[in-house]
Amino acid sequence: MAVPGFEGFEKRLELHFSGYDPLGLRRLSIDDLQQVLDAVQCSIVSAAGNHSFDAYVLSESSLFLYPHKIILKTCGTTQLLRSIPSLLRHAADLGLRLRSCRYSRGSFIFPAAQPFPHTSFSDEVLFLDARLPATLRFRKASIMPSDASLHSWHVYSAAADLFSVLQPSSSTIEVCMTELDCSLARQFYRRNGDHRSGDDAGAEMTELTGIGGINPRALVCGFAFEPCGYSMNGLDRDRYSTIHVTPEDGHSYASFECIGGREVMDYLKKVVHVFRPGAVSVCMGVTGTDDDEERVRSAVVRALEPLGLSCRSRAAEDFPGAGTVTYQTFTAHRK
Amino acid sequence: MGHGLSAPAAFAAEEVDSPVLAIHSKNAWNDHWKSHKDSSKLMVIDFTASWCGPCRSIAPAIKAMAVKYTDVVFVKIDVDELSEVAQQWKVQTMPAFVLVKGGSEVGRVVGAKKDELDKKIAQLRA
Repeated sequence: MAVPGFEGFEKRLELHFSGYDPLGLRRLSIDDLQQVLDAVQCSIVSAAGNHSFDAYVLSESSLFLYPHKIILKTCGTTQLLRSIPSLLRHAADLGLRLRSCRYSRGSFIFPAAQPFPHTSFSDEVLFLDARLPATLRFRKASIMPSDASLHSWHVYSAAADLFSVLQPSSSTIEVCMTELDCSLARQFYRRNGDHRSGDDAGAEMTELTGIGGINPRALVCGFAFEPCGYSMNGLDRDRYSTIHVTPEDGHSYASFECIGGREVMDYLKKVVHVFRPGAVSVCMGVTGTDDDEERVRSAVVRALEPLGLSCRSRAAEDFPGAGTVTYQTFTAHRK
Repeated sequence: MGHGLSAPAAFAAEEVDSPVLAIHSKNAWNDHWKSHKDSSKLMVIDFTASWCGPCRSIAPAIKAMAVKYTDVVFVKIDVDELSEVAQQWKVQTMPAFVLVKGGSEVGRVVGAKKDELDKKIAQLRA
């Protein structure tokens, strides 16, 4: 097939700052935010905020703004790294100091369709190295392998200190799913003649697909794209969650990401149930001892094996300012 | 460009005759609530917070809706200023738009969802 489809695999950027202002990044004006997003070539579709953070659903993925942390996750052919210069400028204007930067992504389904600097991981690393300030002295870039050479997890991390900025009691989980069950993926298509708003149709998809039941405590902002596709951000106290779906057969993809404690394994099971994917990768950001890393990996296996998913590979690496990143891949028995 | 020209109404900071009424005290809210119950108009309560970016992002669209729907009452409540009222209406995520008629809630939109809010107002104002 010569024509590439929509690239579901996201690029993810996480920046941590320090500063005295308890509102920090939340002071960014909408114009400034939009300017940052213009560089990336995406726009705000819907937004909500609570006492802890602001969550934006974008035309191509999501943005989470905490006072001292920003997470920007974009898919398609967006140029995520181009957001960095203006982000750093605005943060500096607000009196914030950059403490760490983490950039990560899986392997693109259509790598040739990506624009510079996303043409290769080395291009991305060079771009990042050139644009991050020298105060981020500790840097590491690594491609974490799986058993299939086409699928790896790419991580770049730069930090002012070696120790992680993650809270010890919580971990970040990023789940990438491909080969989605066809009939389940079809639920993410708009129906012909449905003229409701994307928010309305999105809310219905959230309920009908069971996504709303993953964490009933969370306020979910779902959005249904034309002619297909779905994005949601969830807000539960200071914890974000996000799901993005590219349902097209042949290159179907869905991602789930959230921050949390032990309940995250429960969410993982429910998410796999929603999509019944043929292949899954689970990436976790863990802080703590080697014990924790092994415990986390076993917990993921225990969660997915009963659902018919076999672990094909496992890898773990330490990154400055990001703790230990574990990467496990699974495939469904039926394949 | 003369200095005497004023900016178009949509961009003025806090206009005295803004179509969105900002309520700053419990007394003002009680009075307003009483007069709402006596009218048959739809009222949209916009719960906002000064620290909430999404609230700022949708503010111009709310002003535009208030101008468009002259038969609907728009009020704005800051959740820190009137935290009791926010709690009473169970507002935790913002912006939250609570639509009330005859003293009861008839609809709610949570999040800066412009199109959804516009559609709900158009449906419920009759």
